[in-house]
Amino acid sequence: MLSRLVLRAAPAALRALPPPVAVGVLHATRPLHTTQQSLAPVPPLPEKGGEVRHGVIPEEFFQFLYPKTGVTGPYMLGTGLLLYFLSKEIYVVNHETAAAACILSVIVYAIKKFGPNVAAFADKLNEEKMASALAMKNEAIESLQKAIDEEKKEQWRVEGRTYLFDAKRNNIAMLLETNYRERLLMVYNEVKKRLDYQVAMQTLKRQKEQEHMIQWVEKNVVQSITPQQQKESIAKCILDLKALSKSAHAAVHEILYMSLAFISGILLSVLVFAIIFLFRKSE
Amino acid sequence: MAGRRAALKAVDWAAFAERVPPNQRAMFNALKTRNDALTARLAALPEKPPAIDWAFYKAHVAKAGMVDEFQKKFSDLKVPEPVDTQTAKIDAQEKEAAKSTAEYIQASKARIAHYERELQKLKTMIPFEQMTFEDLSEAFPETKLNKEKYPYWPHKSISDL
Repeated sequence: MLSRLVLRAAPAALRALPPPVAVGVLHATRPLHTTQQSLAPVPPLPEKGGEVRHGVIPEEFFQFLYPKTGVTGPYMLGTGLLLYFLSKEIYVVNHETAAAACILSVIVYAIKKFGPNVAAFADKLNEEKMASALAMKNEAIESLQKAIDEEKKEQWRVEGRTYLFDAKRNNIAMLLETNYRERLLMVYNEVKKRLDYQVAMQTLKRQKEQEHMIQWVEKNVVQSITPQQQKESIAKCILDLKALSKSAHAAVHEILYMSLAFISGILLSVLVFAIIFLFRKSE
Repeated sequence: MAGRRAALKAVDWAAFAERVPPNQRAMFNALKTRNDALTARLAALPEKPPAIDWAFYKAHVAKAGMVDEFQKKFSDLKVPEPVDTQTAKIDAQEKEAAKSTAEYIQASKARIAHYERELQKLKTMIPFEQMTFEDLSEAFPETKLNKEKYPYWPHKSISDL
C-alpha cells in the first residue's frame, strides 16, 4: 500500500520539476548561500548519531508510542508483527533463514567484540591528525609572537647608535688632546735636557778638578815622608803585630783543652750505654 | 687655543653594551678597549708641563747668555694643535646611519604589522575539530588541492604525497 502511494506520487513530482533545457542557464546563475544567515560559520556537527535501541530501531519510535502504549507498546507491536508474518507465511522460513541467522549472529558477535577497539583505533588516528595540526598552529603562533618581539628588540637596539658615534668622537678628541700634550711635554723635556746637560758638565768638571787636586796633595805628602820616619813606623808595626799574636796563641790553647774534654765526655757516655745494653741482653 | 678642550661627552657604556647584538660584540669590545687605552693615556699626561726654573739655571750655568736665549725661544715657541680631520667624517657617518636606521625601522614596522595580521588570523581561526576541508583550504591556502592542474585524485603531484 505504501508502495502504491509512492508510485502514484512519482508522476506528480516529476511533473512538478521544471523542464531541464530552458532553465539550464538559470540554474547556473541562481545565487546560493549569499544571505547573511548562511555566511555565519556552520555549527559543529554532532559527535554521536541518534540514539538506537537494539542497534537498529531509533529511540524516537519508542518515544512516539510511549504516550499511547507505555513502555511495552513497541515490544508488543514487534512481537505481534513477527508472529503475524510467520503464521500467515508472509515471511517463509526456508534454508536462507538458517543462512541469515548464522551470518547475522557472526556479524553481531564480531561487532560486539571488536567494535569498540576499531572505534578507538580510528579515533586515535583522527586525534593524532588533530594534535599535529594543533601543534603546528601553536608553533606558528609562538614563532610569530617571537618574531614580533625580536623586531621590537631590534628597534630598541637601533636606538643605541648615538652612543657609538659619541664614543668615536670622544676617541678622536682624546687622541688630539693627548697628542697636543705630548708635544708640549716633548718641548719641555728637550729644553730641560739641554740645560741639565750644561749643569751636569759643569759639576763633572768641578769633580774631576777636586779629585786631581786631592791626588796631587797625597802624592806630595807621601813624597815628604823621610826614611827616618819610615823606620820608626815599621818598628811600631812589628810591636803591634807581636801583641796581637800573643792573644791569638792563648786563644788557640784554650780551644784545644775544650775539644779534648768534649770528646772524652762523649766516649764515656757511649761506654756507659754499651754496658747497660749488654747487661740487659744477658738477663 | 680654540677647539682645544672640546668637551668629552659622557658615554653610558652600560646602556651601550646592553644594546649591542651578539654578533657585533667583538667590535664593541675593540672599541671599548681603544677608548679605555686612550683615556688611560690622557689621564697619565699632565695638562701642562711643569715650569722650568730659569733662576736656578741662570745661577748655575756658566755660559753667558745661553739660559737667556733658551728662555726667550721657549716662551716664543707655539706648539701647533693637531688638526681634526675625522670629526666631519664621523658626522657624515652619523647622518647616514640615521637615514638607514629610519628605513630599517620602517621595514621593521611593516614586518610587525604583517606578523600581527597573521597572528590575528591564527588566533580567530575555528578549531580544527569543527573544520571541513573547505574551511581548511580557506584558513591555510597552501593546503588547497589544485583540481585544475591535477584533475584526478590525489590532486597533487605524486612526489608531494
